[in-house]
Amino acid sequence: MKHAWALALIALLIAACGDDGAEGDGPAAARPTTEHPAAETAFPVTVGSGEFAVEIEEPPERIVSLSPTATEMLFAIGAGESVVAADEYSTYPEEAPTTDLSGFTPNIEAIAGYDPDLVVAHTDPGDLASSLAEIGVPTLMHPAAATLDDTYMQIEQLGAATGHVGEAAAVVAQMQADIDALVASLPERDDPLTYYHELDVTYFSVSSDTFIGQLYGLLGMRSIADEAGAESGGYPQLSPEFIIQADPDVILLADAICCGVDATEVANRPGWEQLSAVQAERIISLDEDVASRWGPRIVEFLETLAADLAALELLEFEAAQ
Amino acid sequence: MSTLTVDRVSVDLLGARVLSDVSLSVPSGRWVTLVGPNGAGKTTLLRAITGAVEHTGRIGLDGRDVGRFGHRERARIIAVVPQQPVRPDGMSVFDYVLLGRTPYVSYFGVETSADVAVVADVLETLELGALAGRAVTSLSGGEFQRAVLARALAQQAPILLLDEPTSSLDLGHIQQVLELVDRLRCDRELTVVAALHDLTTAAQFSDRLALLVEGRLVAEGRPDEVLTREVIEAQYGARVRVVTDPEAGLIVVPIRADGRIGQAGARRLR
Amino acid sequence: MADAVTIHAKKRLRWLLVAGGLLVASVLAGLVIGPAALPWRGVVVEVVNLLPGMELAGGLDERGQAILWQLRAPRVVLAVMVGGMLAVAGAGYQGVFRNPLADPYLLGVAAGAGLGATLAIVSGGGRGVLPVAAFVGGTAAVAATYALGRSAGGRSTHSLILAGVAVAAFLVAVQTYVQQRHADTLREVYGWILGRLLTGGWGDVAGIAPYVVVAAIAILAHRRLLDVLSVGSAEAGAMGVPSTRVRLVVVLAATLGTAAAVSVAGLIGFVGIVVPHLVRMMAGTSYRIVLPVSILVGAVFLVWADLLARMLVSPGELPVGVVTAFVGAPFFTLVLRRARRAW
Repeated sequence: MKHAWALALIALLIAACGDDGAEGDGPAAARPTTEHPAAETAFPVTVGSGEFAVEIEEPPERIVSLSPTATEMLFAIGAGESVVAADEYSTYPEEAPTTDLSGFTPNIEAIAGYDPDLVVAHTDPGDLASSLAEIGVPTLMHPAAATLDDTYMQIEQLGAATGHVGEAAAVVAQMQADIDALVASLPERDDPLTYYHELDVTYFSVSSDTFIGQLYGLLGMRSIADEAGAESGGYPQLSPEFIIQADPDVILLADAICCGVDATEVANRPGWEQLSAVQAERIISLDEDVASRWGPRIVEFLETLAADLAALELLEFEAAQ
Repeated sequence: MSTLTVDRVSVDLLGARVLSDVSLSVPSGRWVTLVGPNGAGKTTLLRAITGAVEHTGRIGLDGRDVGRFGHRERARIIAVVPQQPVRPDGMSVFDYVLLGRTPYVSYFGVETSADVAVVADVLETLELGALAGRAVTSLSGGEFQRAVLARALAQQAPILLLDEPTSSLDLGHIQQVLELVDRLRCDRELTVVAALHDLTTAAQFSDRLALLVEGRLVAEGRPDEVLTREVIEAQYGARVRVVTDPEAGLIVVPIRADGRIGQAGARRLR
Repeated sequence: MADAVTIHAKKRLRWLLVAGGLLVASVLAGLVIGPAALPWRGVVVEVVNLLPGMELAGGLDERGQAILWQLRAPRVVLAVMVGGMLAVAGAGYQGVFRNPLADPYLLGVAAGAGLGATLAIVSGGGRGVLPVAAFVGGTAAVAATYALGRSAGGRSTHSLILAGVAVAAFLVAVQTYVQQRHADTLREVYGWILGRLLTGGWGDVAGIAPYVVVAAIAILAHRRLLDVLSVGSAEAGAMGVPSTRVRLVVVLAATLGTAAAVSVAGLIGFVGIVVPHLVRMMAGTSYRIVLPVSILVGAVFLVWADLLARMLVSPGELPVGVVTAFVGAPFFTLVLRRARRAW
């Protein structure tokens, strides 16, 4: 990971001209991109590879983002002024042009109404990409990242697609540096901190090999749902009995905002008063907007979480301010 | 002892007048048969008597308005053998006949040993004892008809209505069932109102006939008064001869329109 | 022959005892088995200690007790109540409509409760709102069905069933629309629709107990009358049964009880059809046996279904409605084939 950004810098310096597009794999890739076109001028460019490859003729000036994470990424790499419309959940940054467009049930005509020259989406229900292709609009598919490398790759692809390659590389480099610094500052642990990350009131949770599970893993934490994770694609529904018996060190609520769950409610659940995390009030409410996205703010997520854990005396950490 | 009176009864169904102003009197212990072409309203009249359809006019029992009776009280007085009775799945003959005791069992109650005794008695009378444990769905047409009759008798009602009880039976069974009903009528002093298809059979068993045509009572009286050649031709549109036979009584005989008998090759008589 | 009624009574008692014994065993199994591996001896000791005067040693620690009495026990009790209610409601509907495919959701309860639950979830109402909304939705749907059926075809059951289909279709359409507009709550809504007993506590049990008990008793009280109704409402009426009133009361009781059950447990399917059929196949078609035995067998069925739901992918959970569907669908095929041979 430390080498990827160095490679990116070198690639920039080598500045391969011509039509070579950024050679990223499809969204499921586990390896980072290796080559980039020349800094700001290599258009037309092909982003992605195989069936996900998208050809972009010119630097897009009217981008429609149907993915809140993509919106954050676009603004972070300096392509924000090219974004003319963002979906209804694109709440960050504030200056993002949020509209009524839906990222889950996109309406082609509504999107076309913004006269886009590039659309970025995280899911394709019902031939969004092919319908847009018929009207000459390229769609870049960036589904939810499975690993941190996916995040970096998506940022880089957006950089290539919008002609902000240098800024994208810088963002990625900064993220990696920040995360490395954070991880390095944490003391070694023999036994990982166990956690229960609650997705909703019916006890859906995450296992350690999901994206957010990997983020937790960076802080030396392990999910109690790992036993159940393998068979449920990483998002199992846990039995409350099991949660109580597993007695996680900390409880993280990702349903605090959407469903109004707070520490008091958790404590009132039948049998939950037995949990040491409840008794010691080690319940953290997460900002779902940050916790459910895989953009540049994962750094903020990690730093805030580390600070919260330190405040609960679960972690030795001092925020570098 | 129960005289059934039907007084100016009319029934409207789905906007159509099915019965108009029918008045009829059935003396206690007598057998009155309703006859008439299809769609005349025979079944409707029987249903009006049991309270299954709404009607104007008055249906009286010994002078009392039957409409004022409660459900169960009415069922203790009037029992009906329907035209196409339902054969419930998985029910034994005994349980089926036991249903006839429903008017005597309280809403949330259960049958008593007295009820059981009545059923046993009725089954014996109708020679169904051996079939008591069999499922009603496994009975033949004739056997099931006896079971339905048994159920009606278990109601111990003085008035018995029969709606085409013989339509699915063969000649032998028709006689069997009707002789049985007549015997029961005598033994138990039942008042019988039957709707019958066949005019000869109707004549053989009834004290009086009531001829219904398109919802109106067109003729009423003794069989020989009602079943005349002219009346039948007018109301049924059929050519007949009405013959009196010393053994069979009144016989209504259809005659072919062209006067022929038999098929090609047979001689034309007369 | 004169003993036929007594023979029925004896047979009934036998089946009740067998089913009752099965229920006790199933409840014990439900208490002993679970994703938090509690020692079975400890569980048995805790259960025995409930009896007045018993004070055996060797029970569970505090956490084990909390798991047993605050999580498992209410869950098992809820399974008993919901399973028994759905089964007897299904049998009641089958008796009223004289149709073996009638189930407790026939007149739109499921669609109405589903819509109520969806609205409660997307509007972000608290946990307490959900059961109430589901209950109101379910009963309102059936009321609408009844009104529509009456205005269309009078007393006919056919018109009622068709009205139920129409109302259900409409409500499902509305629900789908609402869900689409709030796609982020999809998982929670579907979780409810597929049925689950895991979030129930004693509060849920106490909440639905009065409805379920009253409804079950009301249906049971009409068992003889449902037997009489099996010859059709016209013939039953001629024998003194107020058919329309009986059908109305049974449907009302079955609907209320079902609405209460699904309000906390979600839409658990197949219990209302599978269980009464199973009981009929084994014990005969008289409602005097089918109704009471269905309550017990329905309870057993759901206790085991819930056991499987929490053990099959332990420590993960399966929605219990998925388990009942997996068992119910093949069973359904069996019933259909048997019925076809009889035709």
